[in-house]
Amino acid sequence: MGRVAGKKLFSVMALCAMISLLLLPLAVSLPSLAIGADAPDAVKKEGEAKVEKGRDVYYKTEGIVVGAPAPKTVDGPKDYPRYNFESRVLLWFANQQHLYYGSFVLAVPIFCMVIEFMGMVTKDKAMAKRYDQLAYDFIKISLTAYSITAILGGILIFTFLTLYPAFFGYLSSIFRPVMHIYALMFVAESGTIYIYYYGWDKMKEGFLKWIHLSMSVVLNVIGTLLMFLANSWIGFMMSPAGVDEQGRFLGNIWHVIHTALWNPLNVHRILGNMAFGGGVVAAYAAYKFLASKTDEDRAHYDWMGYIAMALGVAFLIPLPFAGYWLMREVYAYRQQMGITLMGGLLAWLFIIQATMIGILFLSTNYYLWQALGRMRGAEKYQRYIKYLVFVLCVGFLVFITPHTIVMTPAELKAMGGQQHPVLGNYGVMSAKNGGINVIITTTILSFVWYMRGNKVSTVSWSKFGNIFMGIFFGCAYVNIIWLAIYGYYIPANVRVGLSVPQVATTLSCLFFMFALNGFMMKGAKQMGAIEWGKISVRSQYALIMLATAFTWMRGLMGYIRSSVRLFWHVNEIMRDNSPWAYTHTVGFAANMISFNVLFFWFSILFVFWLGSLGVKKAPVEAKAGVPGGAPQPVEGH
Amino acid sequence: MGSAILYGLISLVICIAYFTAVDHFLMDSQGLDFWYLFRK
Repeated sequence: MGRVAGKKLFSVMALCAMISLLLLPLAVSLPSLAIGADAPDAVKKEGEAKVEKGRDVYYKTEGIVVGAPAPKTVDGPKDYPRYNFESRVLLWFANQQHLYYGSFVLAVPIFCMVIEFMGMVTKDKAMAKRYDQLAYDFIKISLTAYSITAILGGILIFTFLTLYPAFFGYLSSIFRPVMHIYALMFVAESGTIYIYYYGWDKMKEGFLKWIHLSMSVVLNVIGTLLMFLANSWIGFMMSPAGVDEQGRFLGNIWHVIHTALWNPLNVHRILGNMAFGGGVVAAYAAYKFLASKTDEDRAHYDWMGYIAMALGVAFLIPLPFAGYWLMREVYAYRQQMGITLMGGLLAWLFIIQATMIGILFLSTNYYLWQALGRMRGAEKYQRYIKYLVFVLCVGFLVFITPHTIVMTPAELKAMGGQQHPVLGNYGVMSAKNGGINVIITTTILSFVWYMRGNKVSTVSWSKFGNIFMGIFFGCAYVNIIWLAIYGYYIPANVRVGLSVPQVATTLSCLFFMFALNGFMMKGAKQMGAIEWGKISVRSQYALIMLATAFTWMRGLMGYIRSSVRLFWHVNEIMRDNSPWAYTHTVGFAANMISFNVLFFWFSILFVFWLGSLGVKKAPVEAKAGVPGGAPQPVEGH
Repeated sequence: MGSAILYGLISLVICIAYFTAVDHFLMDSQGLDFWYLFRK
């Protein structure tokens, strides 16, 4: 007893020590913040004549100038040293790869935390072990990827230093304390993830397991803060604040971090990371499923793929709404920037983005319909799938319709104008909002069907519940389409607000119908167990498609976000005077994104392969009488 | 059959009322008039 209490005490002390160590970087960095804040006083003491005040370009507050102006670069080896190659493309590649891996290793520990928690609270011991094994599998994948992320981060910094020294020097002079905190927090993140991984077996039971779970919370808090700090740099480049019109730092580091686009970027990125991470893990599971030799392995990886897909899609659903918020803030910050994005130079890239979003949702729905096949009793829904296909296709076609298209004079004449007489009507936001909301609502419906696939509700009010659910979805579709049509008849300033009730309609379906379904399925009669592993091979390709589409879309959106600055390193503050301060053609950008996607997938396959080398799986017999029963987890890792 | 029609009617009333409220109040919260076209 005394030994157990001692162990507990030691664990709590170890956790406290770890948290203290993690907070140390902040404490160490605070004086540097303070130095930044005190600097004006120091300048004051030297004499009032030396004090120069500047006006914040965004916050419009006055502050004492403590930084140098943004350098005015010239094209040459001093500001833009180069190889015989476009420096911007090299930087694009390094940045994109770092971001792919970075977002993956930030997302996966969040999944681990959720799954480990689910394993701890579930009362079914076998299920708890399966969740624990799954969480361990997830973190194992991310560990090698974590090392690669750090290596890519190093490559990225050296690329910046060697190819864009003037720009990087300016950025690091502004973000000096933030970059230090970032670097130290990265050390803290590394320490925590290694303790978390290697301590898995030692801390697998009782109180120690809770300590282990707490470590995953600490890990994710650090990871999220790291991402927020990195976002502040790109937020500053797009919508600078905390500096005057010459780019001189005014001493308030919070203004520099908290720019107009920082919060929407944070929300958009965290959701994007989660969706992307889910997609990559689902693809890993699909790859393992396809390579499996036994039913047990197939069952395990089928289950893993489903969980990863469900987590990824759970974050994919709110992602377009976060995107709308970001765009709204972009318009609010600089209307011209919004027009360049959505209605000007980069508008065609948004058509490609819409296509990718459509592919994501179509793949998800296809997977769910295939997954109905592994449940007895789900056949009743199969006959309705064709209607969902129709609704999804209509929504998708409206969503990807461009407002105008590039045409030759002869084509223009043949069509009778810049816009097609019929299809041109669908190329406006009113219709597109309707299209995407219809797609998302249909995906929610597919999920609800999946969740009740092999169950029959036994609650006394099930008849009313089913009718209510059907009518709720029907009315939601009508409301979304009605709002889309209504938008054509009212002025633009009123129309723009209609997207909010449209989104609320979709989210109502998500939250209310999931909750209603949950209540209805409590104690429901099971028509048969879910036969994990008994799913078509096509479904696994749908998961791989989902992950690839995620990867491609992230590359595309990153390019759009970055290229909206046009010929500025820091928007309206520091001009890009390199020979590459122009916007690439859509074709070039698409090829570059595809190259990045291919490189990422080849390298992550290598990571998967490395991960498989360390597997020591104990042979476990499947339970008799459970066809395709899920494998029992191994005893040790 | 009778109860199904009754349930359907009740559901329809609830859903129409709910979505109308969503449209009205969420436009109102943005300082916009959802009934703009009908008031004109």
